Amino acid sequence: MSDQARYGGVLGWLDNRYDLQPLFRFLGHKEVPIGRHSLLWYFLGGATLFFFMVQVATGALLLMYYRPGEATSYESIRYITTKVPFGWLVRSVHCWSAHLMIVSLIVHMFSVLLLKAYRRPRELTWVSGYALFVIALCFGFSGYLLPWNELAYFATSVGTDSVKSVPVVGQWLLEVLRGGPDVTINTLYRFFSFHVVILPLAIVGLISLHLLFIQRQGMAPPIGETGPSRGMRFFPNFAMRDLLLWLACLLILLVLAVFLPYGPGVPGMEWQLGLKADPLAPAYPGIKPEWYFLWVYQLLKEFPPHILGLEGPQLCLLIVSVLGLLWGLIPWLDRRARAEQESPEFSDLGFAAVFFLLFLMLKAWDIGATKGADEAANLATVARTCAWIVVVLAVAINVVRATVYRHRWFLLSGTEVLHVVLHGFAGVPYLVAAVIAGALGGFALLVGRWRTPGADGGVVRE
Amino acid sequence: MKRVLGRTAFGIVASAALAAVVASVVAPDADEPAKSPTSMPASVKQTVNPSQALAGLLNGKDEKGNPALDSDELAYFKSLPGSAVELFNSAVADENITSSRHLAELLKVRMTPDRLDVVLTDNCFMCHTDPESQTEEDLFSMDPKAAGSPPFMSLASLTQDVHMQHGLSCAGCHGGDPSDVMDHDYPPIWPDDADARTRDRSWVPVFCGKCHADVNLVGHFNSDLPTDQLAKYELGVHGKALLKDKDNRSAECVSCHGVHGILGKNDPRSPVYAKNVPATCASCHADARKMQGYRLDDGSPLPTNQFERYRTSVHGKALLERGDTGSPACDDCHGNHATKIPPQRVCEECHAGDGKLFAGSKHKKAFADHGWAECSKCHGYHAIGKTNDEMLAVTKGALCRDCHDEYSKDNPACVATADFFHGSILYLAQGESRVKAEAEQFARQGLDVEPLEDRLGQLGDLLRQLRSQVHTFDADRFMKVGGPADKVLDQLDADAARARREYRRRRLGLYAAMVVIIVLMALLWLKLRSVE
Repeated sequence: MSDQARYGGVLGWLDNRYDLQPLFRFLGHKEVPIGRHSLLWYFLGGATLFFFMVQVATGALLLMYYRPGEATSYESIRYITTKVPFGWLVRSVHCWSAHLMIVSLIVHMFSVLLLKAYRRPRELTWVSGYALFVIALCFGFSGYLLPWNELAYFATSVGTDSVKSVPVVGQWLLEVLRGGPDVTINTLYRFFSFHVVILPLAIVGLISLHLLFIQRQGMAPPIGETGPSRGMRFFPNFAMRDLLLWLACLLILLVLAVFLPYGPGVPGMEWQLGLKADPLAPAYPGIKPEWYFLWVYQLLKEFPPHILGLEGPQLCLLIVSVLGLLWGLIPWLDRRARAEQESPEFSDLGFAAVFFLLFLMLKAWDIGATKGADEAANLATVARTCAWIVVVLAVAINVVRATVYRHRWFLLSGTEVLHVVLHGFAGVPYLVAAVIAGALGGFALLVGRWRTPGADGGVVRE
Repeated sequence: MKRVLGRTAFGIVASAALAAVVASVVAPDADEPAKSPTSMPASVKQTVNPSQALAGLLNGKDEKGNPALDSDELAYFKSLPGSAVELFNSAVADENITSSRHLAELLKVRMTPDRLDVVLTDNCFMCHTDPESQTEEDLFSMDPKAAGSPPFMSLASLTQDVHMQHGLSCAGCHGGDPSDVMDHDYPPIWPDDADARTRDRSWVPVFCGKCHADVNLVGHFNSDLPTDQLAKYELGVHGKALLKDKDNRSAECVSCHGVHGILGKNDPRSPVYAKNVPATCASCHADARKMQGYRLDDGSPLPTNQFERYRTSVHGKALLERGDTGSPACDDCHGNHATKIPPQRVCEECHAGDGKLFAGSKHKKAFADHGWAECSKCHGYHAIGKTNDEMLAVTKGALCRDCHDEYSKDNPACVATADFFHGSILYLAQGESRVKAEAEQFARQGLDVEPLEDRLGQLGDLLRQLRSQVHTFDADRFMKVGGPADKVLDQLDADAARARREYRRRRLGLYAAMVVIIVLMALLWLKLRSVE
């Protein structure tokens, strides 16, 4: 304020009134740590934020024409894509951006896991990020029904039906979610309210909190580098790179929206309007959820109707919930990272999770199935084909990990590959294969600890 | 500490209250219709206990010492209302049910409670379902094969019989008094002994006709049911053979409708349900042994391949594969009760438009001069295939060309007309396929294909009309319909061109945007370089 000649033009005018000096000082001091890892990993959060902003902008435009209702939902989306100038582009960008946001969120989360950026004192940044991921999935689920077409109707029926498996309150939860025992227009009203009011409020609050944590604590430096480190100035150096990436993302979005306006055409990643929802029509053939729910869908199929005195779906959802909870608690479970030590087990856990999710996803897509073939033979062929893909990919990734990144801990990813091999190549049922591979993995872990009972628990440092 | 506890308690209470409010808002409306109860209402619950004798039968054992009644039968009994239990008590008291085995057989049928009074008070039914008092030949059971009874002695079928459903039980046909002692006074129309009844079946249609030809009687049960079956049957091929020629192999009522367990014609399980008619007719007509000795009017043996041929036809596929009961079965052309060789113009009953056009054409007289059947000359019968545009071609092997080569060689105008029909239809059909394929591609590209689809619908209708117009064999009348079709195809081509231009515009817009973005990126990169 005192130095009125500091800036000229509009900036000077604003500085004169609001004293921008502290803000510029803050931006000037803000740095992004440079370590031995690629700087690229630090841009993924920004890319996710960009896709979110695109969602808000395109969502607001769609809202100008979208009318929720039995006689208007489908018709208004049809009107948007056929009659409204650039309506097709806005809807296509909205859909593509939603999927790309989930992709960049997943990659961002895995990069945080591999860099151990969740370690003390950034535990809550991980938790808030994980909550943002869950909200993003809820956005996808609630938005899916809004066109009120056949695919959306039956996918929502199947998706919400799984809630019934929750013990005691399952039926109540289902009816709360659907606004009645069945998927009706009341369900659409609820989903619409979630999609455009409740979830946006929640996500804006959480994003603010997530960014506040990052601003207060800065970006996590590479593990083990606690002292003064090299850094890149956030403004303008990092911010300009961020902007460059955003422009590249915009370019990719536009190309995809123009050349593939209804998605790549694989189940769980297509948004052609098709026919209007008709509750009395026979179920849509080959119905599958969005690609990011495919693994749960497939896991539910792998469980028998009854197991260990429980309903199969109940046990499956219980396991998924426990896994989800453990994933949120990683910052507290990874005690070595808290002590600024390498924790290769958790890096390997990330890769094991990728192989686990990928195999189920590929299976849900029926990769390798032949039309008209015997169902049992097809199941075996699909499992074998998917196992081939996962095993080849896993070997390639682990070779790169071992040679380029000097990783030496492969027990969890190896156990998951063994699981896939037992199921895909030896034809062992999925759950039995999981138990066998888990037991062998556990045994190997115990042997490792017994042979090297040192402080690092038999784990070779990365 | 107290303050902390107080705050915590307040927090818990406030959270619970908030949760309750949210739950009551998001929970489904309370005034929604109540769900159907899983247990029976109190009013229909058993209020009468089984008598001691009945309880003894319910708990009875078989020869091996196992319970004679299984859990399903017991569960069914428990679900019966008090009035039904009273009926069982009476039947046991009257010694109409004397064994657990008999009781089990009756419970297996799982009749609805409102039907039980009809059967449990009917002595014929009660006696002929008792395995201990009947010979195998006269025993109705759930599994006649296992019991060694004839197939028509199925208890399950009997209880579903349309006559039983209307209260007409055994005595209705067999005579006697079902509420009295065992009595077998057959109606006078029945031949005295079983051999005579089988030797000459001509009494069957007359016997059924006693009721079914009586307007007052039939109208009492079902006013929509016709009463002319017997009159028609007497006029039909089967009726004449049986009633006049005394050919006992000829079909009568029971041959098609069955005997015990007759079902209405709209019941999909009935042998006379539209989809089952071809198989019912084929049970005799596809059997060379049964058809031995029967001849056509020209003296040739009656073929037995009709069903096989029908199955391959456009009508057979629609009815038997797609379940389209609007598609004709045997009886739609041959009649059912008055079976006959179909009249020449029977196709017109459904294909009225085509028949009318043909009747006004010059081919009408030509066909009549040759004594040809009209539709079937070109389209065939039984194995009627799907029509195709190549039937009109003038190349060798095509229908029009071959026929004209043989019967009307010196008439080039006819060939020219066929060629014109063929060329015009082919041109439009190819145009339709081309635009359809383009429309599918446009839809994948995210373009608005609604106008194209509307116009494609118009062209499809016009093509259908044109294909019908060939039955006029008149180029001028054909052109009256073909003219507008030409215009529609032109408009479709224009719409497709417009869509192509729109897609090109979109791509150009994208390229322009890409250039702007790439330039911006380059400028940003240069700025970054200069900053660093």
